[in-house]
Amino acid sequence: MVHALHEAQRVLQPNEILFDLRPAPVHRRVGIQSDTGVQEIGAMREDLTDDYVANRAVKQVLREGLFKSEKFTQFNCNRVMDSLKEFQTWLLEFTTLGRERSTAHDWLSARVERAYHATPGKKKVIVHSPLMLRRLRNLGE
Amino acid sequence: MALRIDPEKNEVHALKAMTDWRNKRVLEIGCGKGRLTRRLANLGAQMEAIDPDRKLIASAKKDVPGRLADRMRFRVGSALDLKYPKQTFDIVVFSWVL
Repeated sequence: MVHALHEAQRVLQPNEILFDLRPAPVHRRVGIQSDTGVQEIGAMREDLTDDYVANRAVKQVLREGLFKSEKFTQFNCNRVMDSLKEFQTWLLEFTTLGRERSTAHDWLSARVERAYHATPGKKKVIVHSPLMLRRLRNLGE
Repeated sequence: MALRIDPEKNEVHALKAMTDWRNKRVLEIGCGKGRLTRRLANLGAQMEAIDPDRKLIASAKKDVPGRLADRMRFRVGSALDLKYPKQTFDIVVFSWVL
């Protein structure tokens, strides 16, 4: 990750901007949205190790004096799925890509399935994932 | 309907609030299917977008709107070995990849 930041700095004009946009190291929350609002079902238990490693990489290039951190914000980013099947497919893909065992979120899948079937009318599955955005100024020449 | 990511466009609103994107040469690293690439091109940026996944790049290339075709270019590429000369870009965006 530090090497990627060095590469980015190389191709960036002096005094220009690098944005680091990625999920905040916070567990994603899953809910069912219906006509009556959003019912929170549970929070995922994904491994956040990579997020902390990325934070350390950014801190390292700041210490090295390659960049200056200028602005930071955090905001919500929703994934909206119109069916239970779409949610289950996404969750399977997510756990397959990550460090978790493929069964790590079976409990959540079961809870969402129960809540989904118990919710009348039109409904969607929503995954809330806070994103963070940092603006870094290139201090290199 | 397929999964929709950030239908409220909070992501691009946050990016727009942090700088002026018009006519900037932007490298997006980790563009995936080009969801954010299209949104930044809509803000007036000249986008160069890379991702190591050939299938995602192929998908991104298929979904380029005609009106943005001259402002978006997709390539297979890695953040660890950027195939560009020094000081090519005004802005670099790490898009969910760090």
